[in-house]
Amino acid sequence: MPDKNVLILGGGVAGLSAALELARFDISVELVEKTGFPGGHAIQFSCKATDKCVKCGACVAEEKLENVTENPKIRLMRNTCVEKVTKSDRFSVTFQTGPEYIDPDKCNGCGVCLEKCPSAGAVMQGFSKHHTPFYAICAEKCLFIKDGSCNVCQEACPEGAIRLDQKPGDYACEADAIIVATGFTGFDPKDKPYGYKVFPNVITNLEAERMLRQQDILLRPSDNKPAERIAFIQCVGSRDASLNHLWCSKICCGSSLRMARRIKARGPETEITFFYIDVQTFGSDFQGVYEDIREEFRMIRAIPGDIFRTDDDRLQMAFLDSNTREPAEEIFDLVVLSAGLTPGKDTEHLAGLLGAELADTGFFSSSRDGIFLAGAARGPMSIAESVASAGNAAWETVKYLSEK
Amino acid sequence: MQETSDIIEMDQIDHDRFRSWPFSQDFCLTCGLCSSSCPVSGIDGFDPRKLIRMVSLGLEDKVVEARWPWICTMCAKCEHVCPMEIDIPNVVRSIRGLRDREAVPGILHKGLAAALETGNNLRLPKEDFVFILEDVGEEIAEESGFEDFKVPVDKEGANILTTIHNKLVNTHTDDLKHWWKIFHVAKEDWTVPSDNWEGTNWGLFTGDDGAMKTMVGRIVENMEKLKIKNLLWPE
Repeated sequence: MPDKNVLILGGGVAGLSAALELARFDISVELVEKTGFPGGHAIQFSCKATDKCVKCGACVAEEKLENVTENPKIRLMRNTCVEKVTKSDRFSVTFQTGPEYIDPDKCNGCGVCLEKCPSAGAVMQGFSKHHTPFYAICAEKCLFIKDGSCNVCQEACPEGAIRLDQKPGDYACEADAIIVATGFTGFDPKDKPYGYKVFPNVITNLEAERMLRQQDILLRPSDNKPAERIAFIQCVGSRDASLNHLWCSKICCGSSLRMARRIKARGPETEITFFYIDVQTFGSDFQGVYEDIREEFRMIRAIPGDIFRTDDDRLQMAFLDSNTREPAEEIFDLVVLSAGLTPGKDTEHLAGLLGAELADTGFFSSSRDGIFLAGAARGPMSIAESVASAGNAAWETVKYLSEK
Repeated sequence: MQETSDIIEMDQIDHDRFRSWPFSQDFCLTCGLCSSSCPVSGIDGFDPRKLIRMVSLGLEDKVVEARWPWICTMCAKCEHVCPMEIDIPNVVRSIRGLRDREAVPGILHKGLAAALETGNNLRLPKEDFVFILEDVGEEIAEESGFEDFKVPVDKEGANILTTIHNKLVNTHTDDLKHWWKIFHVAKEDWTVPSDNWEGTNWGLFTGDDGAMKTMVGRIVENMEKLKIKNLLWPE
């Protein structure tokens, strides 16, 4: 279908997969990603292999991104957000494109910009070798963009790749169909009683994933020392009526236990305690894995209460020990909160622009009128499920285009 | 009954009464946040998660006989952390209410009976109560700056009516002084009733709605009789 053009919103693993599927039908694809780093959450995940591959799927996003970059039918746009959608025969869509402060053709990924930048978080680092440029400027934190007071990175860049005085631009396209693959937002657990953002050694599962992409074991953010006693707390922000999040986030039991196993494989002396409600063993092979896991870690079937910081900067946690049936207080070096998957931050806004419906959960509910859904925009999904969902959305799109 | 090894007799399970309760105990995910957060968790094996599970299973006789509901202090921390918003303190109170009144733990039972008969948990006669108040008032008046202090008893038309926790006229009389002195310095127009002054309401803690209503009604009567619009009710 060389005369057809499909717009995909979201460059995560679902969007990348859908783009590749459509390209196989010789359909042109405009793949729009709002951040500077395509690949979504999946490309930030760590490989969970111990002595062998455990099929976590973390490498899939890398591979898909590489294939998308090389595919002539797919145009990947970074830093781009939808502004307006109108439909007559086709969809007419306008976008705002963020300034490309760092020229991808000039940047050699040396990292001098990040090293010299005085404002924390203003220079962001990519997650994959397929991220070109490997660095991006965060407009909210950059001092030049705030008040023009600093241009250290621009001066320091040996390739002259940085230009901070650029303005946002516009872009428009016509599309025969749209695939929404905007993914999820990780729950922010700052209001739960665990001191997240107060105690540096309380982190989320997504932060742990990023850390394990770069190093073998988890280090304590407060002092960069290896965490010897780690607690994982499941279901933080999932299955929670007080937040109106009644759903199970599906991926956290599998991903946390696999992270724990990987840490144990690389650092056998690490003690890991897993606090859970009930282990959701989604996925065909996970049930077998879980049998072994129960032997490796201390499993406590209760969610802990408060966390306090001790004088020597460790974390004291109160919980009911389901094994001894006694209340307990124990000290941990690091606590990983399995923060749930919630609807993407922009979902409501985007649904308004598209005229799409949302379920009671706040995720997108169903495909219709040339708009199709792929991946975790529909609800919590693993990488494998997102890829399958994207394949399904692409197939529905092809059918729609051929009947049109 | 705290032993999970106890065999549950299936014909004993009667869900009907609990099903009519509006506390959403059937939504419990058994996450255990209540048990992990509870300040009296573990005392005599007390485990709020198990208690809610027993209610959800309809084990009425067992929970009504159990000591657990009487260990709970009803501080409500469990309710605050519960992701399913189950009103656990109210479940506890309702279980207490199902007990035969004669089987309510002694001090609560006797105290409440005394309050219903005499207007206070201690059976303190009116003359003794007023004597204690005046005695404390005289001690305050001995302090510099408080020479003209008097305890205003049964003052009609005052701005605030206050109740008294019985321990303040029993073992903790000094604790009356702090807030009375603040009233005096702030020139507040306040008073204490000489009858039905009891501020603790053990109908609340024993799950006895009738007794609770009687006690509250008496405070309202005092306000109407003395033509007072504002109530300060320190428990």
